[in-house]
Amino acid sequence: MEVSREIYWNVGHVVVLPMYLFAFAAIAVFIWGFYRRTSTYRLGKSLNRFDHLPQRFWLVARNALVQLRVLKVRLPGSLHSLFFWGFGVLFIGTLLVMAQSDFFDLLFHIKFLQGGFYEFFSLALDLAGLVALLMLGGLLVRRFIVRPKGLETIRDDYLVHALLFAILLTGFVIEGVRMAVTEIGSNPDLARFSPVGYLFAEAFRGLSASQLESLHKVLWWVHFFLAVGFIAAIPFTKLRHIFTATANYFFSDLSPKGTLATIDLEDESAEQFGAATVSDLTWKDIFDADACTSCKRCQDRCPAWSTDKPLSPMKVVQQIGELAFSAPEANLCETVTSDVLWSCTTCRACQEICPVSIEHVNKIIEMRRNLSLMEGAFAGDEVRTAINNFEVNGNPFGLAYASRGEWAEGLDVQLMEEGADVDILYFAGCYASFDQRNQEVARSFVKICNSAGVKVGILGKQEKCCGEPARKLGNEYLYQTMAQENIETIKVYGWRVRQIVTTCPHCYNTLARDYQDLGLTIPVEHSTTFIARLLQEGRLTLTPEPFEFTYHDSCYLGRYMDIFDQPRAVLAAAGGRLSEMDKSGPESFCCGGGGGRILADETLGRRINEERVHMAEATSAPLLVSNCPFCLTMFEDGIKTAGCEERLRAGDLAEIVAARLATTSTEETGP
Amino acid sequence: MKALLICEYRESQLLESTYELLAFAGQLGADTAMVLVGDAANTPRYGGKVYLADAATYGEYNPAAHKGLVLAAVEKESPDYIIFQHSSYGWDLAPRVAAALKSAQVSEVIGIVDGGFETGACNGKMRRTVKPATARVVLTIQAGAFTFEGEPQGTPQVEKLDFAGPANVQFVGYEPAEAKEVDLTRAEVIVSAGRGIGKQDNVPVIAALAKAISGELGASRPVVDAGWVEHSRQVGITGQTVSPKLYIACGISGAIQHLAGMKKSDFVVAINKDKDAPIGETADVLVVADVMKFAPALTAKLQG
Amino acid sequence: MKILVCIKQVPDMESRFKPDGAGLWFSEQDLAFRVNEYDEYAVEEAVQLREQLGDAVDLTVLSIGPDRVVEALKKVLAMGCDRAVHVQDPQAALKDPWQIAAIIAAFARDKGFELIFTGMQSQDRGSAQVGVALAEQLGIPSVTTIVAFDYADGAVTVKRELEGGIKGVVKLSAPALLTCQSGLNVPRYPTLPNIMKAKRKELLTVPVAELLHEEALATTASFHPPAKKGGGIVLEGDVAEMADQLIAILKERTTVLR
Repeated sequence: MEVSREIYWNVGHVVVLPMYLFAFAAIAVFIWGFYRRTSTYRLGKSLNRFDHLPQRFWLVARNALVQLRVLKVRLPGSLHSLFFWGFGVLFIGTLLVMAQSDFFDLLFHIKFLQGGFYEFFSLALDLAGLVALLMLGGLLVRRFIVRPKGLETIRDDYLVHALLFAILLTGFVIEGVRMAVTEIGSNPDLARFSPVGYLFAEAFRGLSASQLESLHKVLWWVHFFLAVGFIAAIPFTKLRHIFTATANYFFSDLSPKGTLATIDLEDESAEQFGAATVSDLTWKDIFDADACTSCKRCQDRCPAWSTDKPLSPMKVVQQIGELAFSAPEANLCETVTSDVLWSCTTCRACQEICPVSIEHVNKIIEMRRNLSLMEGAFAGDEVRTAINNFEVNGNPFGLAYASRGEWAEGLDVQLMEEGADVDILYFAGCYASFDQRNQEVARSFVKICNSAGVKVGILGKQEKCCGEPARKLGNEYLYQTMAQENIETIKVYGWRVRQIVTTCPHCYNTLARDYQDLGLTIPVEHSTTFIARLLQEGRLTLTPEPFEFTYHDSCYLGRYMDIFDQPRAVLAAAGGRLSEMDKSGPESFCCGGGGGRILADETLGRRINEERVHMAEATSAPLLVSNCPFCLTMFEDGIKTAGCEERLRAGDLAEIVAARLATTSTEETGP
Repeated sequence: MKALLICEYRESQLLESTYELLAFAGQLGADTAMVLVGDAANTPRYGGKVYLADAATYGEYNPAAHKGLVLAAVEKESPDYIIFQHSSYGWDLAPRVAAALKSAQVSEVIGIVDGGFETGACNGKMRRTVKPATARVVLTIQAGAFTFEGEPQGTPQVEKLDFAGPANVQFVGYEPAEAKEVDLTRAEVIVSAGRGIGKQDNVPVIAALAKAISGELGASRPVVDAGWVEHSRQVGITGQTVSPKLYIACGISGAIQHLAGMKKSDFVVAINKDKDAPIGETADVLVVADVMKFAPALTAKLQG
Repeated sequence: MKILVCIKQVPDMESRFKPDGAGLWFSEQDLAFRVNEYDEYAVEEAVQLREQLGDAVDLTVLSIGPDRVVEALKKVLAMGCDRAVHVQDPQAALKDPWQIAAIIAAFARDKGFELIFTGMQSQDRGSAQVGVALAEQLGIPSVTTIVAFDYADGAVTVKRELEGGIKGVVKLSAPALLTCQSGLNVPRYPTLPNIMKAKRKELLTVPVAELLHEEALATTASFHPPAKKGGGIVLEGDVAEMADQLIAILKERTTVLR
């Protein structure tokens, strides 16, 4: 028997013309649907996301085809990916049928859907359809029965579920009805290669051939109109994410994580700084709203949302889209509201997990820039005070700048202005310089360097705040002012500064990345990787002393810089036994101090730092280790206010290492 | 040497600061006379001469008239010193008198030294000795810097004082102080509770100490965060920045954010179990004790 | 209508102060400078008035001092003043309040300022004299320590802050001078467009010799730190005894217990 199937069986070639006409009409609607959206995207400022094409295509391959970002959350991710691949296989199958019947066979009399290949083809499609159907069932159960908290179901969701079920089911029914006529009985061997179709065919056993043929004709057209309806509906519904998400992977931000646009403050013609309306954002910011599928993964991980603050990253992204499409003149900051905007800690959990590569954080910062630079607004009076303190004394505490280097008194550390010859410039940062608890970290770091024979230089009173909190709060002017001063100061020392090391991840990100735009090209490293390297190179030796601990991946070291393993290795070398928190590594939960919020009072919702302290408590470890002065400060506070002092202590990696130095390794290794 | 002392009168009351003027004049070793724009029923307990002008006629705030009245008394007494309190009344009136006489004015005097008068500078962190170059000098003295020893007594010899001239402002009246949540920035004494007090139930002990010393209750951030004390009482970088004459930190370790909020205090007492608590570096007196034992003892002594 | 606001650039009060070589004022080494806090309230009130009355108002800010005060003038221009006057005087710290007032009076006398705002005192010297002395030299009425201000067609209504939180309500007519106290307003943070505009606003430099025609009525004989506190007292031992000791110390060292 022929191992293939007659294309257009029963319906006849007479359907081809109307089929193609309707299909083209649907495609025309599809194209027009997307086209009319582009004028809204173009409301935003220009942005070049067409560079490094090979890298961009690779991202599309990884994320659209292999669904890597979607799969970051295993269960719902798998449901979606398997559904997508199943549906994709069916789509390819349909294309192959079309290719053969309307091109290869028609013009060249070549038929490839036969023999072994057809058997494989038929089986593959049946299984794909089954998988798609089952996954769709799973997704439906999740959305309508399990009802995860925060998952909004809108009209589009009902429509899409119904449409996809209908398409898949009618597809199988049509197959079953056909097979009942063409295969069951007459070609049973071939029927084995369509197991699902076989089951459906069994259900129609009782009908006569002419009844089956009538049913088949009707269902064929039903299935066809559902399919073209599906195509036409794409740009008008949530289904558009098939294309907008794929495009979003292509349009990914390829710059280092946390890169912000450096405003040109010399441009006297600039009248608007930051984003007051959607037109002040880029086209990509508006486009992001179209890629969003309301999966709420960002919202689930947002430390502000998790502690009952009004910020939902998903909602902000969508509001931008809503305004762009309905009221582009509206004041964006007033729509989103200050409370929402100031709540962000820039932890990046939203962006890291977003399956469609939306960029949440920079939108918030652009709006903060509008609030700060155009309105002179602050997250609170205490923030205004801190900003004023930055302007006068270069630190948020309002302490005299001249005392900034005093923490180092009595230590083996040299002031750069005294002509020191050093191996590294230690950029201490505001907290290590002035805050009693964090001065311990600075001293520990110096001790470690001494032990490894690394000569340390500091700027002392010449050092100013790196400017990061000001920048993240939107005050680009103050940031650039302080940054320029730091860069000029460092440049004065010329070749004598070969490398900069800092114990603060915020200073680290700022000096290593942000300062590049302003002309600083000296390599910058965080103390954790620096110490890891010293250990690895044998320049530093530890006498491990056992301790139990849990480790907090600070946002600016973990998510921003992907530094997860080295600190753990260092702590293990120090004798530590680690009990990981549930939310660790890239899923780490912010301490609440980022985004300039270390300067602010937390007045809305519950305390983020207490939330994280409880997570640490849950591991039963007596020590919570971090590697950031903001985290250390937040945890010391959080432990007190949550009343866990008896059960938990906070410590910094540098302190732990400094307490375990093998005595004078320099003596052993020699100069 | 003669000193003309300018008394203060508000809401129909003679203010007690009058006696501080007397104390200062005593230190100067000067004979005294007084000027009072007030009323005959409220003259100071003082045996010297009081030039009295009727407050009902001239108004309690009427710079042009008060200046004219003081100048009239100056005309009669030819004093070497004209002394005011450094108060909202004194710092408003003294420069007018000084300008009219083209006399040197030294403000907020805290002491008399060889070669001049000692005043504060730079928020009280430094001292400045000022030497007047004119024969007649106008002075304003710091509130509370000079205390009258013993009980003032005497009945003054009253001479009526008049002034004819236009007022250049119109005093409408007083507005009473708002009944509002605490404004610690105006407090002269603050007693703050820190985590060292242990628990919320212990807050009243600190509040009692604050009351006993006529101060306001303040708190460090963790205490406010824990909900033991209301936010308006928070002292520190994210609370209120205060500069009282006396700050008593109870069970406060001295984290930088708190210190930054009260570093401007004139005198700091820290009560802490920990002799090495960071606040000890800022404190003028560190009382090494369990705050829950010491505070009640101090309160009792202050009340007793 | 013309308004004048007078500001002084002072060191940040968190600084550690040391007498300069002559021992007459503080050494400027390692000091951070800022606009005198009380003058910020004066500026903000003047700018708010300017916003209220619109472009009919021309707001001038003036400061006396060495070249570093230009930075302070720029900041105040960015808050909303129209033009700045820098009375250039490298030795401003040695002038007494009478002279300072005379310098400003010499500048202001023929300009027809409807209102003059100053801070109630400077944070470094704190003599609280210049404002009133200036008004007296110009022969205009003045009110000190205002925490509320209202202006309507030349009629000024202010509230003075008195001890104990009471306020005194005073009415007067322009031309007048007001000295400002904290609580009057919240000084605005300059917006970036205003910071950039400030760069193009007029800054007039006048050498102090052109304006100063008065001798000092008082001089500083010495500027010095207070007598050493003795590094802080540590009390240990019996609670009751410490309480007595503390009370004695408080009586001696503060004015809080009488």
